[in-house]
Amino acid sequence: MLRAGCKRFAGLANFKNQTQTLSLLRFYHERVVDHYNNPRNVGSFDKNDPTVGTGLVGAPACGDVMKLQIKVDEETGKIVDACFKTFGCGSAIASSSVATEWVKGKQMEEVLSIKNTEIAKHLSLPPVKLHCSMLAEDAIKAAVKDYEAKRAKLGENGDEAAPVDKAADA
Amino acid sequence: MSNRKLWTSALCILHRRLYSSPRFSAGFHLNLESTSVFSCSPYHAGKSIVSGSCKGGFMANFKFSVRGFCSEPVVGSVDKCWNCGTLAMSKPFLACESCKSVQPVDPSIDYFQIFGLEKEYDVKVDNLESKYKDWQKKLHPDLVHSKSEKEREYAAEQSARVIDAYYTLSKPLSRATYMLKLEGVHVDEEKTISEPDFLAEIMEVREAVEEAEDSQALNQIQHQMQGKLESWFKSFANAFKNQEYEAAVTSIQRMTYYERVKEEILKKM
Repeated sequence: MLRAGCKRFAGLANFKNQTQTLSLLRFYHERVVDHYNNPRNVGSFDKNDPTVGTGLVGAPACGDVMKLQIKVDEETGKIVDACFKTFGCGSAIASSSVATEWVKGKQMEEVLSIKNTEIAKHLSLPPVKLHCSMLAEDAIKAAVKDYEAKRAKLGENGDEAAPVDKAADA
Repeated sequence: MSNRKLWTSALCILHRRLYSSPRFSAGFHLNLESTSVFSCSPYHAGKSIVSGSCKGGFMANFKFSVRGFCSEPVVGSVDKCWNCGTLAMSKPFLACESCKSVQPVDPSIDYFQIFGLEKEYDVKVDNLESKYKDWQKKLHPDLVHSKSEKEREYAAEQSARVIDAYYTLSKPLSRATYMLKLEGVHVDEEKTISEPDFLAEIMEVREAVEEAEDSQALNQIQHQMQGKLESWFKSFANAFKNQEYEAAVTSIQRMTYYERVKEEILKKM
């Protein structure tokens, strides 16, 4: 039994070595390299701008941190501009870069349906890097959530029409 | 049931007697497993076969471990060398003190036991390196290249495990993750976190590292990071002692970020 166990262990070790070598042979897809070398929309908006939503997310596995910001047209609810800043691997940078490209010109509700699998497919991300695309999806959602929270807060405070009524109601 | 117990203890005694006889040395230890516990025939058959001819066929029949049947486990509390049968004199039993044969990996020996340390976070790791080298002097595969295939396998696995143990225990972050793993707590690294204040702080630090102009500025940030790490180390140690595993996981997540910043600083320097 021990011999079988040892053989199995050695077999597993071989398999692990094989997959390790394979992953060393894998290289970044040209789209990832392109986004890494020519990143689109790198930058920062003013966090306190009421039309800006900021999504800040992190991946504990690799210590990556991703910030994605959207600028929304208050009247139409359309995202007119987006920018990102990511500290992480090439796949994470490329994922957030793609995310900013894809959210521009879309409605807020629309971008919530962007899935990490679409980003991963677009960049041909290997399985080990799938969490980078997940990070980008979460960043988009966080940015939208932040914008809506800001709006809700402003709605409470900046309601000039009936502050007296509010006080009366409260 | 009592009948079975009778047979199992009889088998154990027989096993030990047979085993201690020089005719039954190499290759037979622990593979003496029986499908039919209730007949002594495997043992008699074993006696005649031990000369080595039908060893392959003999092994193929066996399914159960003797350990499972004997009331006193043959391996476990009483470790014996597979090669010469000498009882283990010290723990952990990785190599025989008598014939120097490397033993198969026993996964129940955890990394702390390999280095004779208490399972605590604040263990002294100063002489870890010398202990590690001492082990490799006994286990390294280069020492057994002329030995049997079995022993070469054992040496490869055993020394790989000791290497893993050394690297895991010598770094605070991996040591923490390992300790939680021993308690059955898995740190889910794939899940996204969104702690705005903490992440904003990390973002700021990473930007500062990028913009740092000289090594003095970098050293300053490095110093700050080390300070943060040490406070999170303490946090982890406390949380672990009090079995507050969620807090322990949070500590590890924070540590990962600070370690990452340190790595980036080193890259830049």
